[in-house]
Amino acid sequence: MAELQKDPMTRGDFLGFGILGTIVGALLTIPPAAFVLGPVIDVNVRGESDVPDDWYRVGPIGEIPAKEPKVYVVEFPVNQVYSEEQVIEEGVETPGATIDNAVWTSWREEIGENGEAIHRIPSFVESGVQPPLTQEQIDEVTANLNVLSSSCAHLGCPVRWIVKEDGGEFLCPCHGGIYDINGGYVGGPPPRGMYSFTFEVREDANIYVKHEFDIGGDKGPQQPYVI
Amino acid sequence: MGAISKARSQAADAGKFVADWLEHRAGIVTMMEHFLYEPVPKRGAWIYTLGSATLFLITLQFLTGILLLFYYVPSTDHAWNSIYYIMNEAYFGTLIRGIHYWSANFLLAVIGLHMAQVFFSGGYKAPRELNWVVGVVLLLLVVIIAFTGYALRWDQDGVWATVVGMKIGSYSPFVGAYTIQFLMGGDTIGPATVSRFFAIHVWLLPAALAPFIGIHLYLLRRHGVFGDEMEYRERLAKLQERQRLEEYEQYEDDGEPYVGRRDRADRD
Ligand code: FES
Repeated sequence: MAELQKDPMTRGDFLGFGILGTIVGALLTIPPAAFVLGPVIDVNVRGESDVPDDWYRVGPIGEIPAKEPKVYVVEFPVNQVYSEEQVIEEGVETPGATIDNAVWTSWREEIGENGEAIHRIPSFVESGVQPPLTQEQIDEVTANLNVLSSSCAHLGCPVRWIVKEDGGEFLCPCHGGIYDINGGYVGGPPPRGMYSFTFEVREDANIYVKHEFDIGGDKGPQQPYVI
Repeated sequence: MGAISKARSQAADAGKFVADWLEHRAGIVTMMEHFLYEPVPKRGAWIYTLGSATLFLITLQFLTGILLLFYYVPSTDHAWNSIYYIMNEAYFGTLIRGIHYWSANFLLAVIGLHMAQVFFSGGYKAPRELNWVVGVVLLLLVVIIAFTGYALRWDQDGVWATVVGMKIGSYSPFVGAYTIQFLMGGDTIGPATVSRFFAIHVWLLPAALAPFIGIHLYLLRRHGVFGDEMEYRERLAKLQERQRLEEYEQYEDDGEPYVGRRDRADRD
């Protein structure tokens, strides 16, 4: 057998070295570990997000057609490294970085008794929106609007709307996930339908979203991690 | 004696002088002999070059990677621009980046072949199983380096492939969320993501890769390559007999008592 230890060590020495080693080891490990794990600590322990918890404007509801979705691009500011708020405030002339998310908006589609598609576009929208909206109008819009993330529920590729003879569908370019106009799951590898943004409609007839998903759906809650 | 053969013998003398000089001071010749010659089974000898091919491609990665660093800027605003510069303005930029790109692709393919060769020839069996484990560590490191390199391009392809890769990681039980928050540098993709991927791709993992390559080679040389067992043992036995005799002769010349050479570890 290979003999590593030439001088025998007493139990006391062993414990002493063990304790000393643990202390020194911890002192040497904690700073670099905390340094690189900083963002994980910020997000999970301190509950901070890189995107400020605000409402961001998506676009006017009046531009969403009756039977097709419309895509808006929202630029969410990102607080990271050199685009961190503090850094920018200090007068360094770096424009803050943004993360651009495509938001698919559409009017809810339902299947009527005879199998025909009913598009739930509010009549006052169809005849031309006149801001400011009343509370009833806002409620009606909120109840019938889809505000979907373009990020595929499978692995996050951006889905796009494909026009077909009898309407269309959302198709994911990566592995062929398919969703209907409401973001419901139709086919392919995604485990659920498209994610909806947390949104609100305001008097100015615009949609506003937060940088978070409203988790629902029949497959149970699922945390989206990359948006 | 003609002028040419005279020059030739002079050059040979000079070469011998330099080699002797270096040998006495640094043991270079012995070291070269030790590092260069490794017996491989006669049959299918070419198949044993796959490991060297892998090493060659990794070396290319290091070299071209260092060159790319002269122009690449790891920031969300400038990553794409700096690669555009490399591809369109820098002299031979297309070539250098092309080599980095293609040798990365071939690297993964050649590693696959190398592993297949070791696997099908039973080269992972005792006493070489530790080297197989080291090889698997190397494979994982290379895969992660390839993944992180993809993001550095910061074009549509690179970003979405990275998002998909991270989403796959996010499904791992318990640590999924933490892993990708660590990679993204927060809870969304952004400037921190580029910096982190850069640090991992350029510093952390290559620095981890290098010593493991060293261990891999050391273990290879310690046990030799594995081939047709009978043929291999025969050849090895002959070679060692010859080396033993040579060494014996040398010790006799030196007038020192012969103490024998350390046996190769795989001879039981
Ligand atoms: S990412 Fe959309 S189907 Fe896989």
